[in-house]
Amino acid sequence: MGYFGKVLSGFGSLLTGMRITFSQFAKTFFGRKNVTLQYPKEQPKLAPAFRSAIKLIRFEETGTHDCVACKACERICPSYCIKLSGGKVEGIKKKRVAEFEMDFSLCSLCGLCIDACPTDTLEYSKVYEEAGYNRDWRVDLVAEFREYEAEFVEKQRVIEEKAATAKKAKAEAAKKAKEAKKAKEAEKAKEAEAEAADTAEKPDTAEKPPALEAKPAKADAPAKAEVPTAEVPTAEAPKS
Amino acid sequence: MPETLSQLLDDSVLAMPIAAGLIMGALTINVLMLVWAERKVSAWIQRRMGPTEVGPFGLLQTLADMLKLISKQLITPSNVDKPLFHLAPLLAFAPVIAAVALMPFSKSLILVQNDFGLLFVFAFGGIAVIAIFMAGWGSNNKYALLGAIRSVAQSISYEIPLILSALSVVLVVNAMGFTLASGGSIVVANGLDLSHIVMAQDQHGLWFVLVQPIAAIIYFISALAETNRAPFDIPEAESELVAGFHTEYSGMRFSMFFFAEYTNMLIVSMLAVVLFFGGWDGPVLPGPLWFFLKSYMVIFVMMWVRWTFPRLRFDQLMTFCWKVMIPLSILNLLATAFVVAVL
Amino acid sequence: MTNAVPPEATPGGGDGEVYSLNMGPQHPSMHGVLRLLLDLKGEEVVKAKPVVGYSHRAHEKMAENRNTLQFLPNTSRIDYLSGMIYNLGYCQAIEKILGIEVSERAVYIRVIANELNRISSHLLWFGTFLLDLGGITPFLYSFDDREEILDILDQVTGSRLTYCYGRFGGVTMDVDEDFLARTTAFLARIRERLGMYDDLVAKNVILRERCINVGVISTEMAKSYGVTGPSLRASGVVYDVRRAEPYGGYEKFDFDVPVLHEGDTMARFHIRISEIEESCKIIEQAIKGIPEGAILPKKMPKRFKIPEGEYYFAVESARGHFGMYIVGDGTDVPAKLKLRTPSFSNLSAMPEALAGTMLADTIAIVGSIDVVMPEIDR
Repeated sequence: MGYFGKVLSGFGSLLTGMRITFSQFAKTFFGRKNVTLQYPKEQPKLAPAFRSAIKLIRFEETGTHDCVACKACERICPSYCIKLSGGKVEGIKKKRVAEFEMDFSLCSLCGLCIDACPTDTLEYSKVYEEAGYNRDWRVDLVAEFREYEAEFVEKQRVIEEKAATAKKAKAEAAKKAKEAKKAKEAEKAKEAEAEAADTAEKPDTAEKPPALEAKPAKADAPAKAEVPTAEVPTAEAPKS
Repeated sequence: MPETLSQLLDDSVLAMPIAAGLIMGALTINVLMLVWAERKVSAWIQRRMGPTEVGPFGLLQTLADMLKLISKQLITPSNVDKPLFHLAPLLAFAPVIAAVALMPFSKSLILVQNDFGLLFVFAFGGIAVIAIFMAGWGSNNKYALLGAIRSVAQSISYEIPLILSALSVVLVVNAMGFTLASGGSIVVANGLDLSHIVMAQDQHGLWFVLVQPIAAIIYFISALAETNRAPFDIPEAESELVAGFHTEYSGMRFSMFFFAEYTNMLIVSMLAVVLFFGGWDGPVLPGPLWFFLKSYMVIFVMMWVRWTFPRLRFDQLMTFCWKVMIPLSILNLLATAFVVAVL
Repeated sequence: MTNAVPPEATPGGGDGEVYSLNMGPQHPSMHGVLRLLLDLKGEEVVKAKPVVGYSHRAHEKMAENRNTLQFLPNTSRIDYLSGMIYNLGYCQAIEKILGIEVSERAVYIRVIANELNRISSHLLWFGTFLLDLGGITPFLYSFDDREEILDILDQVTGSRLTYCYGRFGGVTMDVDEDFLARTTAFLARIRERLGMYDDLVAKNVILRERCINVGVISTEMAKSYGVTGPSLRASGVVYDVRRAEPYGGYEKFDFDVPVLHEGDTMARFHIRISEIEESCKIIEQAIKGIPEGAILPKKMPKRFKIPEGEYYFAVESARGHFGMYIVGDGTDVPAKLKLRTPSFSNLSAMPEALAGTMLADTIAIVGSIDVVMPEIDR
C-alpha cells in the first residue's frame, strides 16, 4: 500500500466512523429514541433487591415488628451504625426493643444485620431519594410502632397466658402418661416458647466434633445461645 | 438607492458604532445558538437529550450559562503577566468580529466591501494565534504554555494548506476571466474579492466544490485545525492539558475565548460557503438565508466530526499537515494552474 | 502544604531544557487521584514518577480490626470497578480456608455475576480510554451498555457499584428467570455493539496511529514488574488465574485466554475487547447450565474462625491477579490480611514504559493499563 493508498484507507476508516455516529444521530433525531431517563419526571423502577436504610418489618399477624433487642445486628454491623436498647417488658415474657436508632450516614448497605437477625424482622426500605440537607441521617426505626406497643403487649400477655395454661395442662397430661423422657420434651417445648427471648451468645461450637448432637449442647448452655433456633449448630471443624 | 449596506452607512457618523453593534448582536446570538446546537448535536449523536429545561427545547440554556459566566468573579492568578493576561481575551475577540464584517451575505448585504476580502479574512485569522499565545504565555501555567506552543505550531502549519486551497479557487476565478455584471458595469472578476467568487459561481451555476473537490476537502480539514476543533483540538486537549491556553481564565474572560472559538467556526464555514458552495446562491429562499443555511450545514459537519473521532497526537498532527496536506494542496494548485494555463 | 511537594516537583537546576510537570492528583485524565511527576523536554517525557497514596483508606488495617464477616463490605470498595469479583473472591478465599461447601447454583450465579462485572469494568475502561484520547462519543455508548449491566446486577444485588452480594457459602439473593432473560438479551446486545465499536474505534485510523507501537511493555519487562491481567496477556504471556489455578467453578467453563504479543497500547485494547467476548461465552454457558437448588447452605456457623496458619488465595479481577494473603490466629479476626492488587504492579511498570514518549502518549499509556487508584492505595 503506497502513500495514497494509506491516505485513502485512512479516510475510509474515518468515513465509517462518521456513518456510525450519523446512524446513532438519526436514531435519536428522527427516531426520537434516546436512552436518557428524565429522572425527576420519570422514576426508575426499583429492583426487588433495592437497598436503602433498614427498617423493621410489620408482621400481619401481630401488627407490629418482632424485634427482641438481641443486639445481633448491632454486633455484626461493620460500620457501627446501629444502636438499640430494650429488654424485659412488664407483664410479658417476650423481650421487646425500646430504642432502635440507625445512623444511615454511616451505613454501607452490606445487609449483614438483615442476615444476622434471628427473628427476621429487618428488611431494606425502598426509599429512592436518599439525599438530604444535613448530615444527620439518624433513623428511629421503632417510631412507627410506638403507638401499637401497649396494645401489642396486652395481646402478647393474653397469648402467653393462654400458652402457659395450655402448656401446664399439657405438661400435666404428659406427666401422667410417661416418665422422664416425656418431661424432657416438655422442657424443649418451653424452650421453643422462650426462644426469642434469649440474648446471649451462642456457644462456640467450633471445638466440638461434628458428630456431637445439638440437644446436649443446647441443654448445656441455653442461656448463651445468640440465635436460639432449634437448629443444630454446624460443627465446622476448621481445616488447617 | 445605495447598493450595499456599507455605502448606506458611509453617509452617517454613526456608521461604525451601528455596524459594530449589529455585528456584535448578531454574533452573540449566533454563538448562543451554536453552543446550543453543539450540545444538542452531541447529545443526539450520543443518544442523549441535551438541554431541555431552560426555554423551549432548552434554547435559552446557553443564555443562562452566559449570564452565569458574566456574573462570575474574574480571577487573576497571582503570578500572571498582567498586561498579556488581560489583553489576550480581547485580542482573541476583536479580529473575529472584523472578519465577519467582510462576509458577503448576499449580493447587496455586505458590511464592508473590500477588493481583497479573502486576504483580510486570513490576516484576521492570523491575529487569533497571537492572542492564544499571549494567553498561554501570560498565564504562567505550564499547561497553558504547552497549549499555546501547540496552538502556534498548529495554526501556522495549517494556514499553509488553508491558503493554498483557497488560492486554487482564486486561480480559477481569475484565470477563467469571468465577467460580472456589477453595479451596471461589467467588471472582470477579482479572485480575492469574496463577493466576486460567489458571483462567479452564481452566474455559471457551478459550485467550486465540483471544480475543486480536493481543495474543498483540504480546506475543510485545515479549517478544523485552524479553529482548534476536534480531532485537532490539541491546544486545549482537556485530557492532556486540562484546558490548554485558557486554563487560568474564568468568568467573562473565559467566555470571550469561547465566543472567539465559536465565531471562528462561523467564519471558516462562511468562507467555505463562499469559496466552494456558491455563497448566497440558491433557489426560492432569499440569499442571506441560503448563505446561513449552508454555513450551518458546514458547522454541523464540523460538529459531527468532533463527536466522532479521537484526538490526534501533536507530532502526528504536524506529520499529517506537512506530509499529507501541504503536498496534496501544492499538487492540487499546480494541477489547477496547469489546467488553467492550457485552457 | 509546602512540604507536600517533593523536591523533584520544583523546577530549577538541570540544563534548563528539562522542566517538570505535575500531572494530577487533580487532572481530568488521571484516573482517580494518580499523580504523575513528569520531567519533560518539550513534549517528550524524560522521566515519569507515579505518586500514589491519595486515597488511602487503610483497608488492610481495617481487616485486622473486624471479624471476617464484617470485612465483606470493604472488599468491593478496594477496586470499585470490579467490586463483585473482589467481593466474591474474598468469600471464596474464606470458604476455601474453612472448607465451606458452596451449592452448585450459587457457583453458577457467582460466575455470571463475576463475568458481568468484568464486562462492565472493561466497558468502563473502554469508554474512559477513548475519553483520554479525546473520543467522547464512544465513552457514552459504552456507558449506555454498562448501564444495562448495572441494572441487571442491581436487580439481584441491590447495588450498582459497591456490591455486597457474596456471603460465605453462597450469595444473598437468588436470581430469577427475569434476570437470566435480561442477561441473555444483554449478551446479544453487547455482541452487536462490539461490532460497532470495532468499526467506530478499533479500525479508526486516528486511534490506530495513537495506539500502535505506543507504550510497549515487553514480555520480560511485564514479568519483572509483576504486571498481570490484560496488560500481561497483551505482552505475550498466557496467564489467567481462572485458567492457571481455577477457582469458583471456572474449570467447568470453556473459554479462551486471549493473548497478543505486541505489548503496545493497541494490543491491550484488543485483549480487553476479546475478553468481553470470552466473558460473554462464559455467561452463556453458565445460563445454560445453571442448576436448581439452594443459594446458601442451611447450616452456617455464626463465627468464621480462621485457623492458625497462612493462606493465599487469588482471583482474576478485571485488572489482573488479585491475591489475598491471610494470616489466621485461630480467632475470627485475621491477624493480617494483605491484599495483592494488580493495579499497583501494573502501575509500577509505568516509569519505564513512559520514558521517551510524548505527553499525549502518557495519557494513552496510563489509560491503557487501566489503573484504579483506590485499589493501589487500598
